[in-house]
Amino acid sequence: MRAVYGIVAREFLRFLRQRGRVLASIGRPFVWLVFAGAGFAGVFAGRNEIDYRVYMAPGLLGMVVMFGSLLAALSTVTDREAGVLRMMLVAPVRRRTVALGKALGATLLGTAQSIVVAALLLPLVHLRPTLAGALLGLVAVVLSGLALGALGVVIAASIRSIENFAGVMNFVVFPMLFLSGALYPVRHLGPVLRAAAYANPLAYGVDLLKHALLGAWAGAGYGGELPVPLDCAALALFAIVGLTIAAWLLGREGGVTRTAFRERR
Amino acid sequence: MTAAAIVARGLGKDFGALRALDRLDLEVRDGEFFGLLGPNGAGKTTTVHLLATLLAPSRGSARVAGHDVVQDGLAVRRSIGLVFQDTTLDRDLTVAENLRFAARLWSLPDRASRPRIDALLRQFELLERRDDSVRTLSGGMRRAADIARGILHEPRILFLDEPTAGLDPRARRSLWDRIRGLRAASGLTVLLTTHYVEEAEPCDRVAVLDHGRLVALGTPAALKQAAGVGSLEEVFLAHTGHLLAEADGG
Repeated sequence: MRAVYGIVAREFLRFLRQRGRVLASIGRPFVWLVFAGAGFAGVFAGRNEIDYRVYMAPGLLGMVVMFGSLLAALSTVTDREAGVLRMMLVAPVRRRTVALGKALGATLLGTAQSIVVAALLLPLVHLRPTLAGALLGLVAVVLSGLALGALGVVIAASIRSIENFAGVMNFVVFPMLFLSGALYPVRHLGPVLRAAAYANPLAYGVDLLKHALLGAWAGAGYGGELPVPLDCAALALFAIVGLTIAAWLLGREGGVTRTAFRERR
Repeated sequence: MTAAAIVARGLGKDFGALRALDRLDLEVRDGEFFGLLGPNGAGKTTTVHLLATLLAPSRGSARVAGHDVVQDGLAVRRSIGLVFQDTTLDRDLTVAENLRFAARLWSLPDRASRPRIDALLRQFELLERRDDSVRTLSGGMRRAADIARGILHEPRILFLDEPTAGLDPRARRSLWDRIRGLRAASGLTVLLTTHYVEEAEPCDRVAVLDHGRLVALGTPAALKQAAGVGSLEEVFLAHTGHLLAEADGG
């Protein structure tokens, strides 16, 4: 549909305009690789089964998708403050089309960023995926992007302003990252945190990426921990539920007019 | 099919305990230049948002371009253009990119929208700025771009919500010239909200709102005659007991 295409195209234009955002998204995983990688590699080194930097690679790609998709979807908050959201909602398109456009734009941005990062990162850590692995990785990235993009629109539609952004980073982004298996296997966590991990869409995305990239280390316990179909189903479910909630939240009149009403006084 | 572009029947909206719009009965004819005059907080923007389907009415009903605002929001939105009180352009995109984005939202194919966008930019004297970021435009140019975007899909009805707010006198004048030109060229119905009395003078008819109620309705001349006064400002005073400028305190 044209409106979805228009919204997605705008997301890409905005992203490319913001040079800092491009550099940050591509550079971020390498900063983690160097600094977190150096520290954790020593802790991990005991059993020589896997180079920690290789172990980190799927998690770092998951992190790129998360930052790419979630932050792009969270830009709905900025859209509201700049009035652009009102403009979209006065267009002859359904609320759910707007939600879908934002989530799809976020997905494609997250996917594009992780493909670029994968092309640089995987050779660096000497990981050469099989063709099947690469394809599964792409599926993982797209599905995670959809789930996280939908989640981002939900968060954006429910917070009032960008000032809540720091809260989102502290209470959503970082816990999601640490409970995703990106930095250490989920199976080492206690039962409570492990349960939390399974409520985390990124955990399924990272698990799927481990299936895709760490197949050779599966025997040593560093591959994916859940069955591939379960990962895919969970991500799809997160995406569908998220989009449904996002469409409903955007449809609420408060989503558009709360600011209009405040100005009116 | 009636010749009414907008029909409101007992239309009202509450925000919590606040009655923003009481019960509005209004008819705007096709091709009419209609003014909604009143101080800030009188219910003008609420009325526009109700008619544009951005708000759901608390009571009453309204039809815009023949479509019910509750039952058929999409059809209403397809027939109208809305220029918001403050600009809704994306500051990070260029003027042309903003218009292209809007064209896609309104499902116009790029092939058809490209010449239309260029024609509008020429008409609104923005052609040299088409590839500049909106951030670099003056307030008057942004307003012009807002209006160009508002009529991109050739709506039957254009809502202008306080369009001159924040513009200097020269930019205001050129804005009114453009609106006049548009109406002459296309027979567009225009619903204007303003709290500047002099801006309502050229309207075919004016509705005066105060505290969410319609207090007067008629041509500017008839309103002045009925109140036995010489200006719309005095009409407002006669109906509400206070001056527009005074009510404008908050």
